[in-house]
Amino acid sequence: MLSGKFRSALVIGGQGIRARKLRTFLSMVSLFLGVLAIVAVQAGSEIAERAMLTDVELQSGKDGTITGYVPGEKGAPGIVESTLKGRTDAVAMIGSRAIIGEPGVRPINEGGMPFEYAGRGGDYSGPMVYCDANGTCTEQKKEERKPDGQAIEVNMVALTGDIRPFKPFRPVSGSWLDFGTAPSLAPRIVLNEEAAKGLKQYRVPGEMMIDGATHHVSPQIIGVVQDGSMQPRVYMRLDELRTWMPAAASTTEVDRFRGGGTQLELYLQPGTDDLQQLLKAKLVGAGLSKDQMHFQAVNSKERMESELKIMRLIFLGMAFLVLLIGVAGILNVGLATVGERVEEFALRRAVGMSRMLLAGIVLAETLLTGLLTAALAIGAGAAGLQVALMMFGSRFPSLQGTAFPWEAGVAGVIAGLVAGVLGGLIPAIRAARIPIATVMRA
Amino acid sequence: MTQSFEQPTVQVQAPLLQLNGITKVLKGQGEPRTILSGVDFTVHPGQSVAILGRSGSGKSTLLSLIGLFDRADEGKYFLHGNDITKLPERRAAALRSAEFGFVFQRFFLLKHLTAAQNVAMALVNGQGWSARRKRKQQVMEALEQVGIAHLAKSKPTRLSGGEQQRVAIARALVRQPRIILADEPTGALDTETGNLVVEVLLNTTRQGCGLVLVTHDHDHASKMGRVMELRDGRFN
Repeated sequence: MLSGKFRSALVIGGQGIRARKLRTFLSMVSLFLGVLAIVAVQAGSEIAERAMLTDVELQSGKDGTITGYVPGEKGAPGIVESTLKGRTDAVAMIGSRAIIGEPGVRPINEGGMPFEYAGRGGDYSGPMVYCDANGTCTEQKKEERKPDGQAIEVNMVALTGDIRPFKPFRPVSGSWLDFGTAPSLAPRIVLNEEAAKGLKQYRVPGEMMIDGATHHVSPQIIGVVQDGSMQPRVYMRLDELRTWMPAAASTTEVDRFRGGGTQLELYLQPGTDDLQQLLKAKLVGAGLSKDQMHFQAVNSKERMESELKIMRLIFLGMAFLVLLIGVAGILNVGLATVGERVEEFALRRAVGMSRMLLAGIVLAETLLTGLLTAALAIGAGAAGLQVALMMFGSRFPSLQGTAFPWEAGVAGVIAGLVAGVLGGLIPAIRAARIPIATVMRA
Repeated sequence: MTQSFEQPTVQVQAPLLQLNGITKVLKGQGEPRTILSGVDFTVHPGQSVAILGRSGSGKSTLLSLIGLFDRADEGKYFLHGNDITKLPERRAAALRSAEFGFVFQRFFLLKHLTAAQNVAMALVNGQGWSARRKRKQQVMEALEQVGIAHLAKSKPTRLSGGEQQRVAIARALVRQPRIILADEPTGALDTETGNLVVEVLLNTTRQGCGLVLVTHDHDHASKMGRVMELRDGRFN
């Protein structure tokens, strides 16, 4: 049950607001921009953080995921493949190089670089020297320069299972790989946007040469995804690749020297420590050193929060200054109103109202005004976000499906309450100090 | 078995309020000025007292002290026999609500409220809470008591001076106070309306309410049970 004092404060506060609609409106106008600034900064930083996090998740994996990096040597790809077979709580990505297009030609983007930089890399014509672990160096025979042709080089990624629970790739067109069906002889591939761009830009023949494969492959392109990578990539099922590359190729010392060879990336759900231990044991048993394996949990949010914190504080500081201007406005209107209502306040005290309750009523009026303003500012912020998403959402895919963050709503309500208290405190104290005898005699 | 016998009782009416040796000094920027000096004053239930005096004689100051708007510098104040001279502000507010009804020369009605809402103002003051229906009933009874129940929904700007003062009296009566303090209630009214207002105030004393009327008008003062004159801060 509400106390008599609280009910009285609400009734009289409501009467005061209704009686002075214009003044209340003017107070709200001055406060609106301040609260809206707080809401906008809070919403902006939350949305920016989420958008950045979504982009980071595409590349590094969702927060909490355990990622592992294992060199593709000493039969490691085969061990990983057999260990993870049929599991949904862990997926391995086995990366290799592939060329799509004419065979025996130099790809347009040699080295798998983004097409924007294709042909700008120059040509190093000096000798290539390789030194092994013992310090013995030998000059490598330089490969003959192939003729330019209609082919593109891509990073080919073979998957043991669906990677999307770990890396939320965004579909652009077509469909994603279906791991529930029988493997196809013509491997189904999904391109990333950069690879799709290359295929669209350079009309290359539909033939694919994969490093280590026994034959050329005629793939079926089934979809395009956004994977956050700048480099052209194609994704395929590992079991479909196996038709053409029976044993996973191991990385040789020379491959590693050239920055190529098979790479293994593992994505494990949290709580799969047993699997992690099993994999490590098997790999160590195969001859890999523990130092060559790196497992770590993805913790992008915490890292980004610390990066965004300073930026957020700067913008919140600026928004707080705007809010202070609003508070000055509400304070100004409040003081003028108290001056105007001297007789009313003296009369209320004469009929038995305490100083404290009178101050509470003035404060209740500014608090109600602050809350009302906050509600309007939050509504305006949410509506503004919807309009902005409708207008610019297609340009920024990471913003698609963005909802108004609740944190911005909470910040708006707090800003409204703080402004109400700051703007109403001095008028409330003045109202409580009005001398009844002097006013009623005048 | 015991038998009880009724004892004869002697009815002694205790004073509603009693002021002993009240002194009030105004301390402003200049020299301190004594407004009231050693004033003694008593009101009994159902008694009406008129206080006459020239401007600046201390009439309104005395009313402020009785109504607990202000505090005396010296002297004692008893209400129903209890010493309330040094009452804290919160309790003074509660007493103002429970014991006193105030009527002023300027009616002090809030323009944005109706007559009924102005009367209800004395009920919505943080001293307890009654349901809307009960409040409405109390307000209508108070308005009927002063003969303007039909004007309950009118705003003050639509009322005559006499009607406005009767709304103010209804506001003073709505909590059924023990003492009505009226500070020149007829000052802004014509003679006929003023007489009507004094009649309304006098009616309240018939129900046991004490009335203290500060006035310049000797005709109105003569209708009271007791007339006292203040001169230079003392009763003659």
